[in-house]
Amino acid sequence: MIISVNWLKHFTQINGTVDELATLIGARLVEIESVEDLGEKYKDVIVAKVVECGPLENSDHLNVTKIDDGGVWQGVERDENGLVQVVCGAPNVRAGLSVAWLPPRSIVPETYNDAEPFVLGAKPLRGVMSNGMLASARELDLYDDHSGILELDKEAAPGTSFAELYELNDYLLDIENKSLTHRPDAFGVLGFAREVAGIQGLPFETPDWLNVLEAAVENDGSAEAPTIQIEDAGLSDRFQAIVLSGVDETAKSPIQLQTYLARSGVRPINASVDVSNYLMLLTGQPSHTYDYDKLKEVAGDDFTIRVRTAHEGETLVLLDGKEVALDTSDIVIAAGQTAVGLAGIMGGQSTLVDDSTKNVLLEVATFDLYHMRSSQMRHGIFSEAVTRFTKGIPAPLSTPVLVEAVRMLESQTGAKATSAAVQDYPGVREPITVRVSEAQVNGVLGTQFASEDIANLLENVGFQVAFEGLEATVTVPYWRQDIHISEDVIEEVGRLAGFDSINLTLPRRNFVAVRPNSFDELRTIVRKSLVRAGANELLTYSFVHGDTLKKAGQNPDNSYRIINSISPELQYYRQSLTPSLLSNVFANVKAGYGSFALFEANKVHEKGDGLNDEQVPIESDRIALVVTDAKKKGAAYYDAKRSLEYVLSVLGVRVSYHPLDGDVSLFAPFEPKRSAFIIDEATNRALGVVGEYKKSVQKAFKLPEYTAGFEIDPRELLTSAQSVGFQYRPLSRYPGTERDVCFQVSQSVAYDEIVSTAEKVLGETGLITSVSPLDLYQSEEGDTKNVTVRIALASYEKTMTNEEVTAVIDKAIEKVVEATEGRVI
Amino acid sequence: MSIYDVEGVKQSLLEKVAQSDSPRDVLKAPEIRELYGVIGSLPAEERGAFGKQVNEVKLVVEAAIEARENELESADVQPLDVTAPWDVNSAQPALLPTEQGTQHPLTKELENVVDIFTRMGFDAVESRQIDDDHHMFGALNFPEDHPARDGYDTFRTEEGFIPPAHTSTMQHRILKEGKAKLEAGGQIAAISYGRVFRNEDVDATHEHTFYQCEGVFVSDDATLGQMLGTLRSFFETYYGQELRVKTQPAYFPFVEPGLEFAIEKPAAIGGKPGEWLEMLGCGMIHPNVLREAGIDPTKYRGFAWGGGVERLVMLKYGIEDLRHFESGKLAFLRKFAS
Repeated sequence: MIISVNWLKHFTQINGTVDELATLIGARLVEIESVEDLGEKYKDVIVAKVVECGPLENSDHLNVTKIDDGGVWQGVERDENGLVQVVCGAPNVRAGLSVAWLPPRSIVPETYNDAEPFVLGAKPLRGVMSNGMLASARELDLYDDHSGILELDKEAAPGTSFAELYELNDYLLDIENKSLTHRPDAFGVLGFAREVAGIQGLPFETPDWLNVLEAAVENDGSAEAPTIQIEDAGLSDRFQAIVLSGVDETAKSPIQLQTYLARSGVRPINASVDVSNYLMLLTGQPSHTYDYDKLKEVAGDDFTIRVRTAHEGETLVLLDGKEVALDTSDIVIAAGQTAVGLAGIMGGQSTLVDDSTKNVLLEVATFDLYHMRSSQMRHGIFSEAVTRFTKGIPAPLSTPVLVEAVRMLESQTGAKATSAAVQDYPGVREPITVRVSEAQVNGVLGTQFASEDIANLLENVGFQVAFEGLEATVTVPYWRQDIHISEDVIEEVGRLAGFDSINLTLPRRNFVAVRPNSFDELRTIVRKSLVRAGANELLTYSFVHGDTLKKAGQNPDNSYRIINSISPELQYYRQSLTPSLLSNVFANVKAGYGSFALFEANKVHEKGDGLNDEQVPIESDRIALVVTDAKKKGAAYYDAKRSLEYVLSVLGVRVSYHPLDGDVSLFAPFEPKRSAFIIDEATNRALGVVGEYKKSVQKAFKLPEYTAGFEIDPRELLTSAQSVGFQYRPLSRYPGTERDVCFQVSQSVAYDEIVSTAEKVLGETGLITSVSPLDLYQSEEGDTKNVTVRIALASYEKTMTNEEVTAVIDKAIEKVVEATEGRVI
Repeated sequence: MSIYDVEGVKQSLLEKVAQSDSPRDVLKAPEIRELYGVIGSLPAEERGAFGKQVNEVKLVVEAAIEARENELESADVQPLDVTAPWDVNSAQPALLPTEQGTQHPLTKELENVVDIFTRMGFDAVESRQIDDDHHMFGALNFPEDHPARDGYDTFRTEEGFIPPAHTSTMQHRILKEGKAKLEAGGQIAAISYGRVFRNEDVDATHEHTFYQCEGVFVSDDATLGQMLGTLRSFFETYYGQELRVKTQPAYFPFVEPGLEFAIEKPAAIGGKPGEWLEMLGCGMIHPNVLREAGIDPTKYRGFAWGGGVERLVMLKYGIEDLRHFESGKLAFLRKFAS
C-alpha cells in the first residue's frame, strides 16, 4: 500500500523530516519498505499559459505556441515579450489554456525511473524552434491519458511550480501490507493519519463528515428505492444503498483528486468511479454502483436487493465478461431472485454502469471477512476493494462514506439523490469496553506510566478512557474491532508511547543450573567424532521425490504425502536418511571428489509407525553415513564399519553384527549378503544397519562400486551409552605377554565366533586379557581361511611363567578349535 | 476389439523374462514386433485403443526385465563376513584424514545458540518436523480460517498433518510441561529449535526448509522490558560486544503486544552505527495461549520469541546464497573446517 505524506498532512500535523517520520512510523506503527521522493520528479515542471497558438506550416497537426512561464526558467530563448516558443501536436492545444510546461533540460517525468531518462532540449521541429514541451497526463506520469495535453483546472500564476500547485512535492511511503492484516482501519489514509497523530503524541481531529451517523440525504423521492434484505446476519453486518439520477458518466474528476488516486496506485477512470475509489483510499470502505434501470429490470416485480449465499449450480457473468460457477459459500447480491454481483469482489455484467447510464444505485456495505477470503481465493480475484473487505470493515463506517459519496457525486457529476438511503443492518453492535488498570499496564510493559499518560495516549486515537482511581474503563472506537482484552489496550499504550522507550531489565531468576539435554550432548559427540573420522556433515531436505523412495526400494505408500507441494522434489516425507545421502554421492564424485564420507543427523517419519499419544505421527531420529571411493575396489562394508566402530568406541558402546532380516524400510537399500544388523551387546537393543547397497540401488543412484554406509538410531544409542559404566581397570604391576595364533577354519566361520569364544575362555581366568586381529588370509583355491589373532595376557599377582601362559592359551585354542571345527597352524 | 490375445502374449513374455539369464533379449522377441505390426493393420478407430494396450504390455515387460536383472545381479553377490574387522587378504581400512572432516555450519551454529541459552538458564527442546493443526495454530490463538494463517504458507499432508512453519509448534507443549514447575513457585524457561517449512519457491534468499530457534519464559512478574533485556543479553553474548536494540510493532496472533526485534549490526560482522539487522519476532504471550495450556493468565505472564538461524550463519561467514545449506555440495561443506 502506498501512503502519500501530503495526503496525511490534510488530516494531521507532521513534525520533523520525512526520514524522522518514516523512522517513527517504523518503530510505532508498521514497517515502511521504501520512501519515494515524488517532488524530485516534478521539480522542473512549470505552470504556463498558452498566449498564442497557430498552425505550423507544412504540418497537418502541429501548432506553434507562445507560452508565458512568468519568466522563471533561465537560459531559454524568449521573444520580445518574454514568451517562449513551443511546438505542440496535441489536438486540444489552444490560446488561453493553462498547461504544464516541461522546459529544456528538464526530465520527462514519465521516463524518470528509466535507465536513461529523457532530457528535453531546445531544437527545431520542421524548421521551427521548440523549447521543451507541453505535457500530457501520461508524460507527467500522473495517469494513462495521452489524448491531449493536460488542461490545468486550478488557478495559478504562470511560473508557479506545477508540483506545488498539485501537491506533488510529496513523499510516498510504501507500506508492507502483511504487517497491517489486523488493522483494517489503517488501510485508509484517514486511519493512517490518526495513527500518525497518535504516535507523535498529538490528538487526531476527525473531519466532521466522518462523524455523521445518520444517512439523512436530501432527495426529491422521485426514484423508488429497493428493499434491502440480508438473508443471514453471518454474511453481512450492513448493506446501505441510495439512488442517484442524472449521473454524467463522462464527467472527469478534478486533477488534484486524480493525482492522489494515481500516486496511491489507483487508475483514475471518470468522476463517478473516482469518487468511489477516493473514498475507499481515504476510509478503507469500498462502494459499488449498479445501473439502476438495468437492476430494476433484472429484479422484475420483486424489487428487493438480497444478500445471500449462492444457490447450488448458480452461475454469474461478471463485469469483465467471464462466467463463473458459484460455490454455495460465495456471497452474492441478488436483484429479486437473480444474482447480479459477487459481493465485495466484482459486480455482474447485467447491471454494468456504462456511458449511457443515467441513474445508479450506490451500494456501501460490509461483508463477512471469512467468506470474502475464501471467495477471493476460489475465484482468484484480487483488487484493492477485496483486499480491504478481507480485513473486515466496521459497519458504522458505511453511513459517512455514503453521505460523502453522494455529496461528491452531486458536485462532480451533476447527479442528484432521488431516493432516501435504505439499509438492512442486522450487525448493530454495542461499543466494546475493556477494563484495565495502571498497574496492569506497567506490569506487562515494565514501565511507570501515570493514569493521565495512559488516557492521553489512547484518547489521541479515538478511545474513550474513564479512570476511577487507578482502574479505567476503555471504550473502544468502532473501527478497532481488533481490541477486546486488556492486553490489547496495553499493547496500544506501549506502541503509541514507543516500545523503545521502555527500560531493558533482566528477569529475576532462581539460580538453578540447567542440565544440557543428554540427547543433544550425545548427538554432538557423534558429530564431532565423525568429523574427526574425516566425514562431512550435510543437511538434506526432509521431503523427497517419490522416485528417490522407489530407487532406494522403499514403498511411497509408507510415507506421509505432501498434497500442496510446489515441487515434485518435495512430495513425500522420507522414511530413512540413506536415500537422501545416496542422492548426494554422484554429484560430488562428478565434481571431482574421489574419496569422501557424508553424514547427516536428522529426523525420519514412517507412516507404518503410526501416531503417538498426542495423535501426531511418531518421529524417529537417525544418524546416517555414506562412504565412497571412486577408485578403490573391494569390500567398502569394512570402511563404513570402521567409521561406525570409531564412534561407538568414543561412547564406549560394544556391538555385535547379525544378518539383516526383515522387510523394513531402513534395510531396503542395503544388500543383505553384505550388510549387518547392529545390536548393542550390553542392552541387546537394535541400533541400526551397516552395509553395502543393493546392485539396483547402486545403479539407480549412480554410486561408485566402492560405496557403503550405515544408519543408526541415536535415541537407542543414547540408552546404550548411558548403560555403559566407567570401564577403567587398574594397570598391573607385572609385565604382560602376547602370543600370536593362526586358526585355519572353514570360510563360513565368522571371525567373531573365534574371537568371542576365545574371549569367553580368557574372561574366566581373572587375568587382564585381550584378543585382537592380525591377519585374515584366504587362498584362491580351497574353502578355508586363516585367521591370525594376537592374544595378550597379564596377571595382577605375578609375572606369569611360560608354562602358565601356554596353559591359558592352549585352553582358549582348544575351545576355539572345538567351536569352529578348525585347526591351528 | 481385435481378435489378438494381447493378455496371452503378455503372460508368455513375462514367463520368458522370469526364466531368462539375459532378460533384456526378450524385448527383441518376435511377438512384440508382431504386436506393433498389428496396430498398422487395424481400422483407424481401433488403432488408438489397441496401441495403448500394446504400450502397456511393453511397460510391464520392461519393469519385469529390470526386476529380473536385479535378481540375477544380486545372485552373483558374494556374501562377506560381517563380523570381521576387514576383508580377507587385505588390511584394516584407514579412516579418512581428520583435516578433511567438517561439521555443517548450521548445526554448529545451532549448538552454539543452544549452548548460550543453556548457560542463561533455558532448557532446550528440539522441534518436531511433523505436527497437527492444533499445535501449529489452534493452541496459539489462530482461529480457524484466520487470515494470519495465510502468511505461513504451510505444507499439508493427505491426513491434514503439517510440516511446522515455525518452532512455536512446540510452545504449547513447553507451557503444559512447565505448568507444574510454575505453580510450585518456579519459572518456565525453555527454547525449542529445529527445522521449519514453508511452501515457497526457492532462490538465493528464500528456502522452503530452514531453521528457527524459539524461546519461552513465564513467571509471575515477566515484563516486556525483561524480554527486551533477555534478548539483548543473548545477542551481546553471541557477538561478544555491547549492542543497541530497537523494535517495531508486529502482529502475531500468539503474542500481545507483538514486536519485531532488531540489533545494531555488530562491528564483528562489519556493521556500522545506524545499520540495523532484524533478528526475530517476539512479544508477551497472549493470555489465550497461556489459558489453552492450563496456565492462569491472571497470575502468570510470559514472553516468547522466535527467529531464523540461517541469518546468523550467513552474516557470520558472509554466505551469499541460502540454497548452499541444503545443497550437499562438498565444495561448500568443506569450507567449514573447524
